[in-house]
Amino acid sequence: MQKTKTDIVVVGAGPGGYAAAFYGRDKGKKITLIDKSERLGGVCLNHGCIPSKALLHATKLIKEAKESGFRGIHFGEPKINLDEMRTWKNGILRKLESGIRQLAKKREVEVINGRGYFEDSKTIRVETNAGQQFIEFDKAIIAVGSKPTLPKTFDLGNPRIMTSTEALEIEEIPENILIVGGGYIGMELGTVYSTLGSQVVVVEALNSILMGADADLVRYVMMYAKKNFKEVRLNTEVEKLATSGKKIKVTFKKNGETFDEIFDRVLVSIGRKPNDDDLGLENTHVTLDERKFITVNEKQQTRDQNIYAIGDIVGGMMLAHKASREARIAIEAITGENSPHTNIIPAVVFTDPEIAWAGLTEDEAKQKNIQISVARFPWGASGRALTFDRTDGMTKLIIEPETERILGVGIAGHGAGELIAEGVVAIEMGATAYDLAHSIHPHPTLSETLMECAEAFYGHATHVAK
Amino acid sequence: MDIKVPHLAENITGGIVAAVLVKEGDSVKKDQTVVELDTEKAVAAVPTKEAGIVEKILVNVGDNVRVGQTLIKIKTTSAGKQKDTAEVSEDKEKPKPQRNNQQISERGSSYKYHSSTDSVPPTAPHVRKIAQDLGIDLTMIQGSERGGRIILSDLKRYIQHIQNISEGRDNIPKVADAVSIPDFSAWGSVKKEKAGTVRQKIAEKMTLSWTTIPHVTQFDEADITNLLALRKKELSGFELQGVRPTVTGYLIKILVPLLKKHRKFNASYNVAAQEILYKEYLNLGIAVDTEQGLIVPVIKNIDTMDLVKLSKELESIADKARKRAVSLEDIQGASFTISNQGGIGGMHFTPIINPPEVAILGIGKAKEMPIVFEGKIVPRMILPLCLSYDHRLIDGADTARFMKDLVEALEHIT
Repeated sequence: MQKTKTDIVVVGAGPGGYAAAFYGRDKGKKITLIDKSERLGGVCLNHGCIPSKALLHATKLIKEAKESGFRGIHFGEPKINLDEMRTWKNGILRKLESGIRQLAKKREVEVINGRGYFEDSKTIRVETNAGQQFIEFDKAIIAVGSKPTLPKTFDLGNPRIMTSTEALEIEEIPENILIVGGGYIGMELGTVYSTLGSQVVVVEALNSILMGADADLVRYVMMYAKKNFKEVRLNTEVEKLATSGKKIKVTFKKNGETFDEIFDRVLVSIGRKPNDDDLGLENTHVTLDERKFITVNEKQQTRDQNIYAIGDIVGGMMLAHKASREARIAIEAITGENSPHTNIIPAVVFTDPEIAWAGLTEDEAKQKNIQISVARFPWGASGRALTFDRTDGMTKLIIEPETERILGVGIAGHGAGELIAEGVVAIEMGATAYDLAHSIHPHPTLSETLMECAEAFYGHATHVAK
Repeated sequence: MDIKVPHLAENITGGIVAAVLVKEGDSVKKDQTVVELDTEKAVAAVPTKEAGIVEKILVNVGDNVRVGQTLIKIKTTSAGKQKDTAEVSEDKEKPKPQRNNQQISERGSSYKYHSSTDSVPPTAPHVRKIAQDLGIDLTMIQGSERGGRIILSDLKRYIQHIQNISEGRDNIPKVADAVSIPDFSAWGSVKKEKAGTVRQKIAEKMTLSWTTIPHVTQFDEADITNLLALRKKELSGFELQGVRPTVTGYLIKILVPLLKKHRKFNASYNVAAQEILYKEYLNLGIAVDTEQGLIVPVIKNIDTMDLVKLSKELESIADKARKRAVSLEDIQGASFTISNQGGIGGMHFTPIINPPEVAILGIGKAKEMPIVFEGKIVPRMILPLCLSYDHRLIDGADTARFMKDLVEALEHIT
């Protein structure tokens, strides 16, 4: 049995895995990157962040065109060709995928297409199309990610019951679609489908959509959903899905009462679960928590000294940028450097309007009984927001009262996802509201809302009425 | 009305919340204790100055708090209108930011970063990286920027500062634990427990003492057979006066004239001013073993006390220490300390000096030993003695003379 040797094996080539592979290589290590898919980039690139943003962009044009009449610009009815749309979207994915492949090649990172299986704490077996391959490693980084949760009772093998992976393929524009779960994936895809013309119903078991975000930010998305979706059904559970001819019969349960309704399609977006079945982890000292996420220490090291884990597979916020950061922490731990840990992980929901936040939220402060000051700046007072008729937004700062230090930033509104980066830098740098208020922001831009928000904290924002 | 951490005593900058004795919505009377603070060595009660209703409790048990920090908001029964604190964004009355820039390193009060929101010290990633590489605890550094933000020059100043300490040019307790703690989880599970204030203070003081004072420990032994016989004889008489003097009591009685004769052992050495400070009072620190750890309460003016008074004092102060009822005054002002392990059973050891004192006497357990006494081998009770001294001020010969006098006094007590 032939064994090849490498310094670091990275299992999974998503935004965590390929970042780890490249950074490890840049640090002079010999790297082998394994992915079971032929396409590098993981869920983010192929079935997540990237395709959903492409579709959101495309469909937004439809809505904007439709709503331009009052500005004196009139468009005709849009003609939508799904095949062309898919081709365009897939073209973006291909471009990105080949970019990653190029980067790997230039760096001389060995990429193997196959399924990785740990034989022990030093050896991984890779099942490729060309047969088995054994690789002996010094260190391994597990970055195999997560997949959509589809409970057995929902999994009827009916293609009309979709997860986000299938929904992003947009096989058709269904007349109506039920979205189970009002998290960010459900709300983003709901926006895509409703703009394409589907009647969207979102059903959420809890009493709010987008749990984790502050209610005053979520309100703006709720306003949009109320206007553009058919319904957002809170405090309601889905008991059962059943095939009913070419449609899906859905049994709901609310306040102890059950009722049925028929939908053309159903998207199940109730969460994501770790991909750690069939990895051979039982042959290592890696341990899992009760939800089957891999347990790691602050250096991303598992209970097996040779094996690290990063990204969705270790739980927490399942976000690409968290995985990429953890990739660096793991590599630096392997090369013996110290990475100061940070827990400022920004979150963005690409709904319409977008919601973004970083650091401490008001909700979290309330739960932990932390006393904070909150400064808010409504976008109705932003000249820039008025110029494109999107005053449905708000910027807010969460501030430590005694020191005026910025602990958290929350933004709802057009482009919030871009704006939040400034908030992240402010928090990471330990900036105070004073610092933000005294940094000149260009006019007229939405970034001014951050500055004016800081001014509002001191009670003298230019554009806020007294 | 806000109930804040009061000024407790000199050099006490804060403490840990030991107990919150009220709930939100409770009505409180004037002077009622609402919070107990665990300070260096004593529990301090914080009372409310006015009667009213507890509106908001801002701290939890275990929180680190600093002097001036608000603990509880009370809606006073007399006050007319009370501001609603829920919507802070419209609150015009903004708290003043803390800007005590240079306070730490120069003055050396043991600074510890505190955040009312439990946040880590504000600083940029590049500063965090350097601190982590050097094993420096950022909470020990007071940032000079607005909001206490730590910049590179603050870190440099702090590093300079700990260098000064290790070179003995600075007598300020500011040494961070520079030993990096490995990841023990590689070898097995570890249970973490927060060190209490007493433990933190002991660690700080011992490190300071050990790193700044050149210690020497002199060992000796005294035959206390006669002393024990004397004690036995006198005991019934003392019991009528309600006390049972211990060997420690007799020993302290003997120490009084010795410390007056050997003045250096009851002195302090001011390195900066190059001065020797001879104290004309005799305050004795007594090391007491408590559940929280070592506490050293002080008996003031032992030279004015007879054995009865001294024995009473010894008993009450040790009892108070064990119950954590000593006040901050009770633990300050010692000029010499004794540490008696005899009750537990130790022999010789090397006690660590409690600065700014310059000497400490350790006592072991008296043991029956075969001794040549008046030409014959006889069983005698032998008491181990160990005297640690600061060699900057006291020389070996000084100590040998002190020890000789002590042993003689113990052996020839009448």
